[in-house]
Amino acid sequence: MSEVLVALAGSPNVGKSTLFNRLTGGDVHVANWPGVTLQRAEGKTEHHGIVLRIIDLPGTYSLSAQDIGEKIAREFIVEEKPDVMVIVVDATSLEKSLYFAVMALELYQKAVIALNMIDAAEKRGIHIDIQGLESKLGVPVVPVSALKGIGLGVLLDRILDVAQGRVRTYPLRVDYNGLEPFIHEVERLLRERGVLDKYPSRWAAVRLLEGDEVLLDELKKIDPELAEKVNSIRERARIELGEDPERIAISSRYSLIDEIVCSTVTRVKLAAPTLTEKLDELMLHPVAGPIVSVLLILFTFFLIFAVNTGFPLNILFDHMGYSELAALIEEYSLSGILGSLFDWLSSALSEWLTSMGYADWLVGLISDGIIGSIGTLASFIPLLLMAYVFLGAMQDSGLFPRAAVSLDNLFRRFGLSGRAFFPAALGMGCSVAAVVSTRAMDDDRERMVTAMASPLIPCQARLLVLLALASAAFTNPLEQSALTVSIYFLSFVLYLLVSKFLNKFVFKVEYAPDLVMELPPYHRPSLRVIWWYARSNTEHFVKKAGLLIFVLGVATWFLLNFGPSGYLSQGDISKSYAAILGNLLTPVTSLIGLPDWKYALAFEVGFVAKEGLLITFSSITGAADPVEALRSMGITPLKAVSMALAMNYYVPCLATVAALFSELRIGKYVLLTVVIEIVLALLLAGTAYWIGILMGFS
Amino acid sequence: MDGNLVPLIALRPGQRGRVVTMNVGRGKARRLMELGLLPGEVVEVVSNSVGPVVIRVRGMTLALGRNVASRVWVEVIS
Repeated sequence: MSEVLVALAGSPNVGKSTLFNRLTGGDVHVANWPGVTLQRAEGKTEHHGIVLRIIDLPGTYSLSAQDIGEKIAREFIVEEKPDVMVIVVDATSLEKSLYFAVMALELYQKAVIALNMIDAAEKRGIHIDIQGLESKLGVPVVPVSALKGIGLGVLLDRILDVAQGRVRTYPLRVDYNGLEPFIHEVERLLRERGVLDKYPSRWAAVRLLEGDEVLLDELKKIDPELAEKVNSIRERARIELGEDPERIAISSRYSLIDEIVCSTVTRVKLAAPTLTEKLDELMLHPVAGPIVSVLLILFTFFLIFAVNTGFPLNILFDHMGYSELAALIEEYSLSGILGSLFDWLSSALSEWLTSMGYADWLVGLISDGIIGSIGTLASFIPLLLMAYVFLGAMQDSGLFPRAAVSLDNLFRRFGLSGRAFFPAALGMGCSVAAVVSTRAMDDDRERMVTAMASPLIPCQARLLVLLALASAAFTNPLEQSALTVSIYFLSFVLYLLVSKFLNKFVFKVEYAPDLVMELPPYHRPSLRVIWWYARSNTEHFVKKAGLLIFVLGVATWFLLNFGPSGYLSQGDISKSYAAILGNLLTPVTSLIGLPDWKYALAFEVGFVAKEGLLITFSSITGAADPVEALRSMGITPLKAVSMALAMNYYVPCLATVAALFSELRIGKYVLLTVVIEIVLALLLAGTAYWIGILMGFS
Repeated sequence: MDGNLVPLIALRPGQRGRVVTMNVGRGKARRLMELGLLPGEVVEVVSNSVGPVVIRVRGMTLALGRNVASRVWVEVIS
């Protein structure tokens, strides 16, 4: 045996990812499970010269195949028959985390239990009789601390012992009391017909009696007659026992767990009020909870974007009159550094290529088109990475679920749960990060709705355009900030209203997903795990959306730099295909009071990245300062309002569309998102403009 | 008060109750039971105001939407 296949299984919040990360040392390949957006992580490690291939199964509370994660975990165990299944349980709360272990051991006996957080358990005076636990469960039990790296060598030893048959394991038998005769009956039928034989027959019989839909469907396909029979046995059991067989099964498992815990766990001291209890008094307070949650999220958001782009510090300082300091912050932010790096690369390459005698258009394509697109892609990487670090820390520390609980009440009115706050908060920085973050939702409908609505929140690039418009058209700072603030307010309202609309008319569900969520104890997040989580997710995004950003970026470069007369070497943008397209669009922009191809062209460029709007105004008018550029185009307060509304909503930027594609995986919904935004932009900007005209503005 | 059957949502923070019955759909009932919220189990309400009801059961803290919490009936333990 040269390679051992290990499946890592367990419920959420037992430290499974930390253990996976420890065992594989971060040498991990991340992909999606076939057909779903659920992440599949796989890694390798070597022990005593043997390679262990470790698959991290989705963290689930049971193996009933109720949701996609449980289905995947169960299928993997049954179909792939791993050499060893490692079941992670939490030593500090065996009465809870053993449920998954019991279900898993009934299904598959080549297993080892990793008794995680043993250090925390000892600290709290919880003693566990390891041998006792081993004899009750029939498989080796290894106390470990994934966080501190304790016991991992022994765990790997036991994994190899089981894989190579040096240690025998025994099937776990739960006493199902009154259900037993019915179990025997179904088991006998299954054996006689020789169906569902890839599952242990007792396990299959219990599951069928519990009404496992996936298993029943499978049986219906092979042997419809037997499926009928099983159904009638289940009905008979229900009537004779006067109780739902499912309930009997689940309580029997819990009775076994109570018995195991009672005989193997001793508590030597009573736990003092823990940090969790004290913190929860604050986080779950009806008034303080939501406030603390919002502040916490805003603060983290502020931190991420300040490091990345200087925002909002740059804008704050600029308005306070410290424009030099603001420029400095911007220059030395991550995206500032990346930006100058790519500018330098582009001009160096352009010089070199020209000196080598290449044609102008080729030089332009390589130094502007290609390097520019790679630069756009690269500028997202630190932002995404940090957004993931933030998300990972919120989840790993236990803050995420509390914040979701405290904000649930507000979001319910719009058919969302409290979890919907996160994409909106992240969206103020970058819509791509917002769309990708919806992955953390466990309700599928809510995940799609929030992904589709979150690009409505103005991102940082749109804020820049907004501020330029406000400064160009209004002289009074009060009017300038009134425009900016009202666009933000409107955007949050639209986020909620569009979510409600999507729930009602697209997904045809009006009630909010009802929260049933574990609030795990708070703990200090593990930096290793967060870093690994952030890195692998970012890599995954770059691989998936990168190509699209690149291709569309290069295509836009062509439109801007080529016209019917060929390559536009003088950069005369008004003769480009893009300008021709702009002219085609002017009938539409006339509706919102902007009947000029320049605006239309700016909107086109803004699709690549919203800050492109300002760049276009500058390159068309020749004024480097976008505010000057807008003034020379004759912007009026009314036009600025119309433009601000249109610019904010007319379409998510290219990278966001790419992210929507990779997250939603349904072209129809991506298209719908774009259509909703276009309609909103036209409707809002048009209404504002024509009301303004009626009121005598121009 | 002892022995009174009330929905979980009627308990104040700090109050405890024994689960008697759950009037929710099959899938949800299974989910709750698998999380340890079984008939016969004792639950303690941690917080209950406007949002989800937070309870402690089998050493685990759970947040239940108000809709679910109003369908779990408990016997108050004084």
